[in-house]
Amino acid sequence: MTEIERHDYDVLVIGAGGAGLRAAIEARERGLRTAIVCKSLFGKAHTVMAEGGCAAAMGNVNENDSWQVHFRDTMRGGKFLNNWRMAELHAKEAPDRVWELETYGALFDRTKDGRISQRHFGGHTYPRLAHVGDRTGLELLRTMQQRIVALQQDDFAETGDYEARLRVFAECTVTELLKDPAVGPDGAIAGALGYWRESGRLVVFSAPAVVLATGGIGKSFQVTSNSWEYTGDGHALALRVGADLVDMEFVQFHPTGMVWPPSVKGILVTEGVRGDGGVLKNSDGKRFMFDYVPDVFKGQYAQTEDEADRWYDDQESNRRTPDLLPRDEVARAINTEVKEGRGSPHGGVYLDIASRMPAEEIKRRLPSMYHQFKELADVDITAEPMEVGPTCHYVMGGIQVDPDTGQSRVPGLFAAGECAGGMHGSNRLGGNSLSDLLVFGRRAGLGAADYVVGLERRPAVQAADVDAAAVLTLAPFDAPAHGGPDDAENPYTLHAELQRMMNDLVGIIRTETEVAEAQRRLGELRARVGHVFVEGHRQYNPGWHLALDLRNMLMVSEAVAASALLRTESRGGHTREDHPGLDPEWRHRVLVTRRARDGADSTDGAESEQVVPRVVVEPAERVPMRADLLALFDLTELEKYYTDAELAEHPGRPADPGRPADPVGGTA
Amino acid sequence: MTATLEADAPAPAGEIPSFTVTLRVRRFNPEVSEEATWEDFTVEAHGTDRVLDALHKIKWDMDGSLTFRRSCAHGVCGSDAVRINGRNRLACKTLLKDVNPDKPITVEPIKGLPVVKDLVVDMEPFFASYREIMPFLVTTGNEPSKERYQSPEDRARFDDTTKCILCAACTSSCPVFWTDGQYFGPAAIVNAHRFIFDSRDEGGSQRLEILNDKEGVWRCRTTFNCTEACPRGIEVTKAIQEVKRAMITRAF
Repeated sequence: MTEIERHDYDVLVIGAGGAGLRAAIEARERGLRTAIVCKSLFGKAHTVMAEGGCAAAMGNVNENDSWQVHFRDTMRGGKFLNNWRMAELHAKEAPDRVWELETYGALFDRTKDGRISQRHFGGHTYPRLAHVGDRTGLELLRTMQQRIVALQQDDFAETGDYEARLRVFAECTVTELLKDPAVGPDGAIAGALGYWRESGRLVVFSAPAVVLATGGIGKSFQVTSNSWEYTGDGHALALRVGADLVDMEFVQFHPTGMVWPPSVKGILVTEGVRGDGGVLKNSDGKRFMFDYVPDVFKGQYAQTEDEADRWYDDQESNRRTPDLLPRDEVARAINTEVKEGRGSPHGGVYLDIASRMPAEEIKRRLPSMYHQFKELADVDITAEPMEVGPTCHYVMGGIQVDPDTGQSRVPGLFAAGECAGGMHGSNRLGGNSLSDLLVFGRRAGLGAADYVVGLERRPAVQAADVDAAAVLTLAPFDAPAHGGPDDAENPYTLHAELQRMMNDLVGIIRTETEVAEAQRRLGELRARVGHVFVEGHRQYNPGWHLALDLRNMLMVSEAVAASALLRTESRGGHTREDHPGLDPEWRHRVLVTRRARDGADSTDGAESEQVVPRVVVEPAERVPMRADLLALFDLTELEKYYTDAELAEHPGRPADPGRPADPVGGTA
Repeated sequence: MTATLEADAPAPAGEIPSFTVTLRVRRFNPEVSEEATWEDFTVEAHGTDRVLDALHKIKWDMDGSLTFRRSCAHGVCGSDAVRINGRNRLACKTLLKDVNPDKPITVEPIKGLPVVKDLVVDMEPFFASYREIMPFLVTTGNEPSKERYQSPEDRARFDDTTKCILCAACTSSCPVFWTDGQYFGPAAIVNAHRFIFDSRDEGGSQRLEILNDKEGVWRCRTTFNCTEACPRGIEVTKAIQEVKRAMITRAF
């Protein structure tokens, strides 16, 4: 390959959502030359779609809030599967990250005395979400975009070059990470290869540290709230280069996506609608959530409609409505109502705010929601109930990283935000993702900076690796080597098949038979993906873009399916109809996905092995929670999740070996 | 298994039935020809489908080379501003039934920016103007250890202009911008407004100096195209007027 455009940076950040921008700001502020590479235009990332807010225990609205309470809520929401160190750092640092954002210039809704206001959200004990109407994600992303412009202008004043230390490569897609095998025992990150969407020309980045901040995987599913760029790129790039993924069976289906009309199918109705008074009803008009409060949450939620309604105005002396249970509980409840025949005409249930408050009040509190549905689908939420159902919203699983630095097992490869795993355990609380990407975006940027500064020798990109990655990137333009022209596959068709299959067989409710069938079909798709052929040239060719994204979606889907098959229990974002209970023996195990050792290395490997390497999933033990953090929970609560043996050392446990274990709280 | 959606459920009374619609799309591919051409595509649309849904149907089922930007498809990211029947709109926020589907609906790239391919334009000149007006909070003195206080009233003062999604619908609807590519354009002024009227900001005078330039705010001829084009309902022309007034009175 000759004359490939080349760039040299200290830190390469892939993805320009909240995590990527926060990481880039940190690396630049530490004095490192930093590049941001993103698939879409700068400032258009999926983060803009976050509506509810950013969870941080600032205590502005209720001073009883603290990092400990936030930590407990987060662990409970994740059903004690969370990487506890990440949950701890997150709860402790989120307030500083929000305040810092405010000093960057972020707009927030304010309390009467001028402080940042905070709102209620599902699973959070106190009003905790800093917000801007229902456009918090947009403001958060825009603020960091503005910060980057400011830093570039500082650099211009100092050096005469806006891009001296921080450059954005927009509409540029990375297709392969590159390693230097001579550094360390297993090699280290040396850079990446990508292409410009506009020209189709290839570009090579040399960089000793890469921060993946590519977001989620939702476009592998048919019904999703995710943006079109959410194709699991970071997950797949990490796997390909030897990093591990964890918790890939845990996919969050947001309970209230629109199911009708088709133009808005999958689009989210923010939890804020329920936080502000909207209630879920079935086709009988019944508020069914009162029937679905699981044992582990008994006592924390209102048992009558009267009490639930009083809670909106008086939160001290009433318990909250079960409409605000964690997302996994609500999603399963809706699914059950629909399956038992009490759903809406288009396979959802009703979310009613229209009959609960005057139209003007709804427009004032939820302006974006009102306008969005009016404009996107001619639905007036102040006049009629919405038809809602679960929509693929977030992947808890992701790249396994060191909690403090964000580094993966591959030296020089860091990850933050949704593409990193562990923080949210089996289920993420609403509002915890904006705070996650601020806390861990900063930490990954810092981790990458420290790593680069400490390097003795700069890893070098290998010419042969560049050539191989280039061939693979351009492969969709080559007619299939085997078979006739009729064997050429259309990427749009394959994508639609993948989405439907994942939705039906590895969706919110799973069984062994169906997941095994999904694996069989993924095998077929893998063979066909090698035959994808796109027409036309490289210049802004959407078919080619999808052909490359499709490889990533397929690899990630295999990780989800294989993990979902192994975990024989139901917990958070993983529900097995054939294993409906929570199993404490699974709590302390984590499923790790890695690239299969054979395959890529085998000389006789099929071309599909190169295009989409095979993955293997194996269980490993989770690191036990530090004692001082464990002590934040009542023993009676821990007993619902932990095995007896794990709690034997707990200080609250009486030394009585004959004591029987509590029955496990099933939540199916 | 997961309860699946019933795609073919009968339409309840009052629902708009499906219909056939023709999209007349401006095509341009510099690798093939220097000339842009119109091409008609006829698709079956659901009653509440948007222009973006029709563009997707064309791309997926009829012509995989049709090129346009879209990301969130919710009207929040601002990637898919196009000119529909001669007016700037977001394809994801425009219902087909609202743009007279009885006749062919024209879809073309927004004006005043170089076309890259089909409906994709080069946005860099637009972002360059945005960067020029110092779109970031300017403050002096020590940063607070926590937050700056701001009253709800002060915060409400510039709420409207914080809704901008940088889609360029306003700027590329402006006749002044079409004829003079140097003009900052409405979006840049809106984003300057967002900071000029932020009680925490101290860079107002600098920004007003920038906008007092010959390509600045005085080029605005108050045609209201921008206000009409804004998919976020921002009163763009009003914001520009407020900036003009601030320039004269130095009160903001």
